[in-house]
Amino acid sequence: MISRRALELATAVLTGGFGVAVVIQSLDNGIGWSSAGVEAGTFPFLTGTIIVLGSLYNLVRGALPVASLANVPIAITPIELRRLAGLFVPAAIFVAAIPLAGMYVASALYVFAVLAIPRHQSVPRALGMAAATALALYVVFERMFQVSLPHGALAAALGF
Amino acid sequence: MDNLGELLHGFSIAVTVPHLVLMVVGVLLGILVGVLPGLGAPNGVSLLLPLTFGMQPVSAIILLSSMYWGALFGGSVTSILFNIPGEPSSVATTFDGYPMARDGRPTTALATAFGSAAFGALIGVILITFLASWVAQVALAFGPAEYFAVYFLAFASFVGMGGAAPVKTIVALAIGFAIAAIGIDTVSGSVRLTMGVDELVKGVNFVVAVMGLFGIGELLVAVEEEFHARAVSSKIDWREVFRAVGRLPRHGVALLRSAAIGCWMGITPGGPTAASFMSYGIARRFSRRGRYFGTGEVEGIISPETADHAAGTSALLPMLSLGIPGSATAAVMMGGLMIWGLNPGPMLFVDQKDFVWGLIASMYVGNIVAVALVLLTVPVFAALMRIPFVVIAPLIVIICVVGAYSVSNSYLDVVMMLGFGIVGYLFKKLFYPLAPLVLAIVIGDKAEDAFRQSMLMSKGSLGIFFANKLVTCLIVAGIALLLLPLVLQLAKLRRKPASPSTETTAQEKVII
Repeated sequence: MISRRALELATAVLTGGFGVAVVIQSLDNGIGWSSAGVEAGTFPFLTGTIIVLGSLYNLVRGALPVASLANVPIAITPIELRRLAGLFVPAAIFVAAIPLAGMYVASALYVFAVLAIPRHQSVPRALGMAAATALALYVVFERMFQVSLPHGALAAALGF
Repeated sequence: MDNLGELLHGFSIAVTVPHLVLMVVGVLLGILVGVLPGLGAPNGVSLLLPLTFGMQPVSAIILLSSMYWGALFGGSVTSILFNIPGEPSSVATTFDGYPMARDGRPTTALATAFGSAAFGALIGVILITFLASWVAQVALAFGPAEYFAVYFLAFASFVGMGGAAPVKTIVALAIGFAIAAIGIDTVSGSVRLTMGVDELVKGVNFVVAVMGLFGIGELLVAVEEEFHARAVSSKIDWREVFRAVGRLPRHGVALLRSAAIGCWMGITPGGPTAASFMSYGIARRFSRRGRYFGTGEVEGIISPETADHAAGTSALLPMLSLGIPGSATAAVMMGGLMIWGLNPGPMLFVDQKDFVWGLIASMYVGNIVAVALVLLTVPVFAALMRIPFVVIAPLIVIICVVGAYSVSNSYLDVVMMLGFGIVGYLFKKLFYPLAPLVLAIVIGDKAEDAFRQSMLMSKGSLGIFFANKLVTCLIVAGIALLLLPLVLQLAKLRRKPASPSTETTAQEKVII
């Protein structure tokens, strides 16, 4: 179970961290005024500062027990968390597999795994849908629009 | 009456067989993404974007804008029949649309929604027809300082009127600006904010951000709640369609008021979602039958639908004449304009008359096509909703992955898209607004350039933003909007010292 407060804090830390990174990076480009006008780092520096300040405000507001947050103390229940993971984890594995297996094989495996392993569909139907997905991708992108999707290291090793 | 002449010329461009076919294709694809939860107008339009690179700009914009109309209509279909809003902007339609459909009047609910939506869109297009070229004329005299002031006003109005927590809006905006700055700086040529990743030199494409924020993010929000597509009957009784549309003029006041709210929220970038909620809220307060809202009231459907479509349509006005999109989808379309080599802004009305008036004429025709198609295809798309979500979800993930990859054939984009997905989920969950984030990614560079050019002109003095009446007014209005939430907060504190701010979840839903 994740409370609304924890989620608010985590998000504020995330945005604040990004803001700090932007501020530090922008210093490399120089901030302020030079003979060529406003230096390249100035605008990012300002936005970074605004992000940091805003995140600090959100952090404090998230930490304080304010009435508006008390309305929904629980942001994500355990069941919801399981459903979220059920969608996101396979998707992340799918994306991680693309460089190796290529878009077609990876997406077919992904569709098959998501449908067959939790038994949402029977194995033959899942196989059919997986094959249809890969084929549709191939026809639409490689053939119709001439966009080459990554074939993957495995296909390259096999000589495709 | 120059405009009417130009408009007629526009019709001669829009009403040709290839363009009518594009409209039908666009509307159908739009209804599809509108109906599917997890796919919305912004990422539907960005998915189609790479496929338009070989087209004439006017054909491409007709395809994309038709898709937008289709998505706006498609979102209402699922709101009314399934109580599942297919688009954030049709959330308010569920309040009265679904109860009416459940009571055995689905045709009445759908026809009322589509009829008032078409009315809202019509008012929006008429506004564009008569106002856009005039605004562009005024804007032709703009220098960099005026431009920066207009951008500033647009961003400030998100903070002041967007409805989200102001500081969250500011953070979202600033993150968008920072993302826009990644890559090569157009003025000095130096490389910025790459965080040591060489591939980031090319910058972060807004399509990648939109795919993640709206696609994966919305999917994650959708998967949390289990879907029960308990549909009411989706059969269309054609006689009832005409009867329901015939009854609409009786609610003339509600129609006009909602259209006005929609147009206002569309032009000042509040967006269709905020417009539909605001319109519903105002209708409930002022309608004589306000007490019955939520049980299937006709005006409870008319108000959000009219405002939604009026806002969606008029969001294209500032995009065309000033180069400032009024909604997230308009921002994506504007990104397309820049990719096709057009320069959004007042010069369009001088250099690209065919494009502008072809688009405006196509909006009249496209909305008629959309109403006809959506009525004809309701049963088909309703059947689509019976496909289990577990089957649709992985397909949407694949679409987003391929869409992000095909922008510039980069694997890093896919990984970033997934990252944006997590951000999108967190932001939606905590009511950070996403539209200003996308808007800032698309026009952040232009706003920065305008600022730096005006600084060059004035040799570093901020006085240039108060140099003449126009620019002073714009800046002062922007600052006023920025301070508006603060003033309201203080006023509330003075009136009721101890009462806590009451942000209800229903209100918070406004901010998507």
